[in-house]
Amino acid sequence: MNTPPEDYELLRWLDGEMNDAEQDAFEARLAADPSLQAEAALMKRLSSDLRSHLPAEMPVPYADFFNSQIQVRLAQDENVQPSPAVSGGWFGWLRLPWLTTAFATAALVLAGLVAWQNSTTAGGDELVHSIYVPKAGVQARSFHSKDARATVLVLDGLEDMPADRKIVGFNISHGEVDEALAATTLFDDHGRAVAVMSKDARNQPLLLTTTNPRG
Amino acid sequence: MKHLALVTLLSAAACLHGQEPPPVQPLPVKKPATDAKVWGALVFATNDDAEAAAMPKVDVPAEFADIPARLGKVFEWKRYEVIGQHLQDVFREYESWVVPTKDLFLKVDSKGPAEGGGMNLHLQFWRDQQVLVKTDAVLKAESPLFIAGPKWRQGRLLFVLVLQKGR
Repeated sequence: MNTPPEDYELLRWLDGEMNDAEQDAFEARLAADPSLQAEAALMKRLSSDLRSHLPAEMPVPYADFFNSQIQVRLAQDENVQPSPAVSGGWFGWLRLPWLTTAFATAALVLAGLVAWQNSTTAGGDELVHSIYVPKAGVQARSFHSKDARATVLVLDGLEDMPADRKIVGFNISHGEVDEALAATTLFDDHGRAVAVMSKDARNQPLLLTTTNPRG
Repeated sequence: MKHLALVTLLSAAACLHGQEPPPVQPLPVKKPATDAKVWGALVFATNDDAEAAAMPKVDVPAEFADIPARLGKVFEWKRYEVIGQHLQDVFREYESWVVPTKDLFLKVDSKGPAEGGGMNLHLQFWRDQQVLVKTDAVLKAESPLFIAGPKWRQGRLLFVLVLQKGR
């Protein structure tokens, strides 16, 4: 169903897309048409309600992954003929620019999640259901080694660990979660607290050690 | 548990001042439900005997002693040295951390028992504050997970996760 011309004009007016002449002409028609006034008031109220109930910006999970998906979609769109700008009926309010952007983002998020869920692993290893690598340039593949009787996940393209970095291991015998503090205290064989794993303000892991493992 | 964490942090502060940390006396608490127990280890794989010999020795529990040999059936390095290890309960309702070293560690979320045995897990492999990979996988006692991580010096760092039997 196509949008009637008057609805299209109304949407353009609401979106501020008209030039001065068009705006003067439409507002003159609006002043003379009570039904158009009622429709304009309804559209404005709908828009206002939606704006007040939806955040202006929403954090996109796995932003790196979705950015790459957006780039792919943009590249695809360059090869597609533009579709008619107006879509249907009284649902034409869906065409409001900010709402279109929100739905497009949601669609990409959904598409990304589906792609993530469906990302299969090389070798058809049924023990690995999905793999997601956030950093561009890193490839992951998994397979089952019959000889080793093990599932193997290989990450290629990772940045090397600096050669001068001193990697010293822990010997942790157990960890206890602190529900109130959302932290896990890690203990060695002698019951000594070795480290506390918590989260920072960005929800990233924050490891506090009781001694400096690098000496 | 708040007291325990505070004691822990105070111990850390004491260490920074060169004092021996006081012994921690855990308070009796109700332990959260667990689904399994896992052993995680960071292994340095290298062809350089001198590099391997320079690694501090770690006493690997007997039940996991075959892991270096099994790694040798997948990768083509000559030496596999366990750098650090961590035996950890997998909490049913909380995230669990497997931290054999300060540099590379694993977040484990239980997704319940897997059909046919083992555990459904959501895993996140972290390097400091950067997540390297996220995966949903089934971990079975007879089939450990080997993650080939970043290269280091003349070799490569491998993360091993094993589901302990009998849990």
